Amino acid sequence: MISSLSFINQKGEILIYRVYKDDISRNEITQFCAKMIATKENKEFPIINIDQTSFIHISIKDIIILATTKTDVNVAMVLEFLYQLVLIFFDFKSKICKSYFQGNLDENCIKKSFVLIYEILDEVLDYGIPQIADPNLLQKFIQEGGVQQETTINIEKLRQLTFTLTGAVSWRPIGLYYEKNELYLDIIESVNLLISAKDTVLRAEVVGSIELKSKLTGMPECQIGMNDKLLMGKQQKQTRQTIGISIDDMKFHPCIRLPKFDKDRTITFIPPDGHCQLISYRISENINIPFKVNVFYSEIIDNKLEIRLKIKSIYDNNIYGTNVLVKVPVPKNTVNAITATALGKARYEVEEQSVIWRIKKFQGDFETSLRCEINLGATNKDQVWSKPPLRMEFQIPMFTASGLRIRFLKVMEKAGYKTNKWIRYLTKGGEYLHRL
Amino acid sequence: MAYFGNNQQRGELQELFTDLNDLNFDKKKEAIKKVIAYMTVGKDVSQLFQSVIKCLEFQDIEMKKLIYLYIVNYSRQKPDDAIMVIQNFRKDVRKSENPLVRALAIRTFGCLRVPKLNEYLIEPLKDCIQDDDPYVRKTAVLCVPKVFEVSPELCPALLELLQKLLEKESNALVLANLIQSMREIEVVNGKQLILMNPKIIQKLLLAIDECMEWGQIFILDYLATYDPVESKQAEIIIERTLPRLSHINPTVTFCAVKLILKYLDHLDNGDLVKNLCKKISPSLISLLSWNQPEIQYTILRNISLILQKFPILFENEVKVFFCSFNEPYYIKYEKLDIMVRICDSKNFNQVLNELMIYINEADPHFVRKTIKSIGKIGIMYDKALSEAVSILVEFAKNVQQANESVQELFIQMQILYRKNRNLYKTNDSLKILFNILEYANEPEAKSACTWIVGEFAEFIPKSVDKMKEYIDNFLIEDRLVQLQLLTSGVKLYIKYPSLCSALIQQLINSAKDSFNPDVRDRTYIYWRLLSTDPEIVKNLVCSVPTNSSQFQKDIRLWETKDLIIALENMGSISNLFHKLPNQLYKNIKIRNNHQQEAKIYKADEKQDIPQKEQEIKKEDQNQQIQQQPKQDFDLLNFDEPVSKSNNNKIDVYDLI
Repeated sequence: MISSLSFINQKGEILIYRVYKDDISRNEITQFCAKMIATKENKEFPIINIDQTSFIHISIKDIIILATTKTDVNVAMVLEFLYQLVLIFFDFKSKICKSYFQGNLDENCIKKSFVLIYEILDEVLDYGIPQIADPNLLQKFIQEGGVQQETTINIEKLRQLTFTLTGAVSWRPIGLYYEKNELYLDIIESVNLLISAKDTVLRAEVVGSIELKSKLTGMPECQIGMNDKLLMGKQQKQTRQTIGISIDDMKFHPCIRLPKFDKDRTITFIPPDGHCQLISYRISENINIPFKVNVFYSEIIDNKLEIRLKIKSIYDNNIYGTNVLVKVPVPKNTVNAITATALGKARYEVEEQSVIWRIKKFQGDFETSLRCEINLGATNKDQVWSKPPLRMEFQIPMFTASGLRIRFLKVMEKAGYKTNKWIRYLTKGGEYLHRL
Repeated sequence: MAYFGNNQQRGELQELFTDLNDLNFDKKKEAIKKVIAYMTVGKDVSQLFQSVIKCLEFQDIEMKKLIYLYIVNYSRQKPDDAIMVIQNFRKDVRKSENPLVRALAIRTFGCLRVPKLNEYLIEPLKDCIQDDDPYVRKTAVLCVPKVFEVSPELCPALLELLQKLLEKESNALVLANLIQSMREIEVVNGKQLILMNPKIIQKLLLAIDECMEWGQIFILDYLATYDPVESKQAEIIIERTLPRLSHINPTVTFCAVKLILKYLDHLDNGDLVKNLCKKISPSLISLLSWNQPEIQYTILRNISLILQKFPILFENEVKVFFCSFNEPYYIKYEKLDIMVRICDSKNFNQVLNELMIYINEADPHFVRKTIKSIGKIGIMYDKALSEAVSILVEFAKNVQQANESVQELFIQMQILYRKNRNLYKTNDSLKILFNILEYANEPEAKSACTWIVGEFAEFIPKSVDKMKEYIDNFLIEDRLVQLQLLTSGVKLYIKYPSLCSALIQQLINSAKDSFNPDVRDRTYIYWRLLSTDPEIVKNLVCSVPTNSSQFQKDIRLWETKDLIIALENMGSISNLFHKLPNQLYKNIKIRNNHQQEAKIYKADEKQDIPQKEQEIKKEDQNQQIQQQPKQDFDLLNFDEPVSKSNNNKIDVYDLI
């Protein structure tokens, strides 16, 4: 399994170095660091094998997290583990270096909290084999910063803890209590769209995520119902409202009972305390594409280019899209651009090599346009402009491109309390591309 | 608090020494933290060993952890001092009521890796394996391979304990760790340790539902090495594994896919197999659009393997592999590779249309790969040929400088012309290519150009002048180009004997004294043949190869017998590099594979599946027979540009 883990900064210096197996030397790591800093290629490929030693790494901003191994391990597992490790640090960090770093792993923070990091590293891997990687659980028995000091004294409580850790419901501790019981569901969809230059849809896909935030007492049993076609078909005769949507694939948080879902497609679970990504899903059928884009490039005279852009929103007019951003690529030798639009603001941004059009609020069922006149410089005319696609970013609250809806959300607990529930929907632009 | 501070004075070790021996607890703790910080940046602080372990007498857990970390790091340098710690460990394991402390002690104890200390470890370890607390047990179980690595002679009793535990353990997490630990020992030991029986399988299947994600991976991965005894058993295991396809951890999903794919071979029921394939496919595709590129990459690398045996999984799914503009290039390369593999007689048009767009991208290496892929598709499907050529010609029109992609263009055009000579007429391709001939600078591309000039001399207005230009530089050319120049020069001479008599003389003069035996030999062969009977040379050199089926359609990544082994190792590092484990790791021995044929799962019409299989088998055999005499005429080589020896072969083919 994993022989060592190290954190490396951009200069190739080792910030944290933890060995799990004896088959690797610090020397090999420093040599690799030097190599990685030297060439771009080494940095790019996530895995490199040098003389039977494999170096597997991910980069989070300026920090490289590197795992080494000498055995033929499952690569995806190591990578996923590294990513989860990052999540753990983010989670801890929000509690420890509170004011300092927000969702950001940087050199200073690592140096500052290295004792904690070593403690975590000690717990998440044993002999290079991944163990407990759930941030909530880890916090329960890691001592740094006075977190949960009192449990160290109470042996009974500790027993409970170790049983939770190793038990079947390891994600939720026993004996939670909240004054107000609350449950939040966020359905966030990002639309990946690829439209060819001839205006045909090459690929349309929604990758969605259902995020759960729970503040619930005890051991509640929850159930979610969605307008999933396969499920609805089973339950009742189809009327107009009950025709569901077909979901290509769903991936579930460990708390959801997979065998139960496999049997009758009901989603039941005991929620983890706090925040988690409950479900991620993918849908590729019948996607409501939120914006229709028409774009024309035409050369007026030799060094002048005209771009006409039309955007139409195709969702109900009581819904608003927010923070809409359109990136219209322009040639490298653009000198300036004169833009004219009725809605929002558009201007040429050199570093992006595009005209960026920002619209704060975009009503549904509405059409607007942009006209740009691009002045081109005479430089290197021979070089062909490899036209990058036009990109769009946006957020549309209360709208799902896939049409997914939560039909019900039940919480059952033996105490029989009342739960406040919130459900929100949001659609975002993912890889929303329009080829030119 | 800045432990990594820059003001490192001389007496720092001395200072630490004083602090460690200070009576004040807080000062001690700070000093220990500093020691660990120095250790991290790679400074040797082993001299403080004794002072550090003296601090163990405090019951502060945080400090204990740090000291243990220190001990693990330096125990091998200071084995004699490390003995002093033993008592502490034993006390913790035996006396502490706190399960976390017990586990911590046994875990660290295992990491010492000093042979002579291990005998003190055996007894406490035995206790821990039988501890009531599952957390201690799961830690103890992992301790065994640590000991085994250093002193295997001490371990027989421990191994027996593990085997007993496997029979009776009920906690899912401990079970998962147990399996993984025994497998680690199996790797070192080379002997089978886990004895499978239906009861244990039943237990493992139950444990999958209960243990955390990593445990699920261990169990699934282990079950994937098992060969089910009968179809019914395979069916049950698959059924229990299916829910894992919806797990949020991509590796769990992937391991489940691996297991199911392996067990498919053991199923009797054809309809069931088809249904299963339908279930696996969307799961795999989700992994391909995973938001972490690194994971996407590992999955993509494995897809080409899965694809060879299970083309059915990606039927009609070629769109999934379309590259998106902002993806890292290492992912784009993989996708391109897979697109060619997935391409068939039905969807080649779609693929070509997509490739046409990539040809305009900025990265020359990516464009080069794209051109190569277009060429490959043209070769594979007769119907795609003209489309492929017109895309390439379109590209050639815009060429303005000599870059990497242009080189590939010449190489691919040459291959396409070889397949169908009449293509030179399509879209004026020959004329357009001739205009940019000067941009060829790689040996292979140059050799392709000389071939084109020789082959189509009668359609190129100034072919003789062009050839003269090449021959003037004969001596500075690469061997590859020289060989091709000889053949092409002779070709030209045959076509225009009077015009080229001086030319051929110059060519032979420059070539006959070459240091390269190949070049020399070929010169003499031509020379003698020309002087005895030019007619033979004409038949040799200018004959139009009628048999275009010489161009193989084989783009398989693996030999059949390797495919089985590769599938067993799906997801592993060796597999990621498209190698067998024993090719990457010298110490690994692989199971001998007796299976000579792999069942291929194709999506096809309902009727006569068995017949098709037979055909495939026959085809395989035929190919093997064919391969022997002519070796690899590997035009579809997927790796770096076709190697020199291969090109030599092409030239020979030209000759004969």
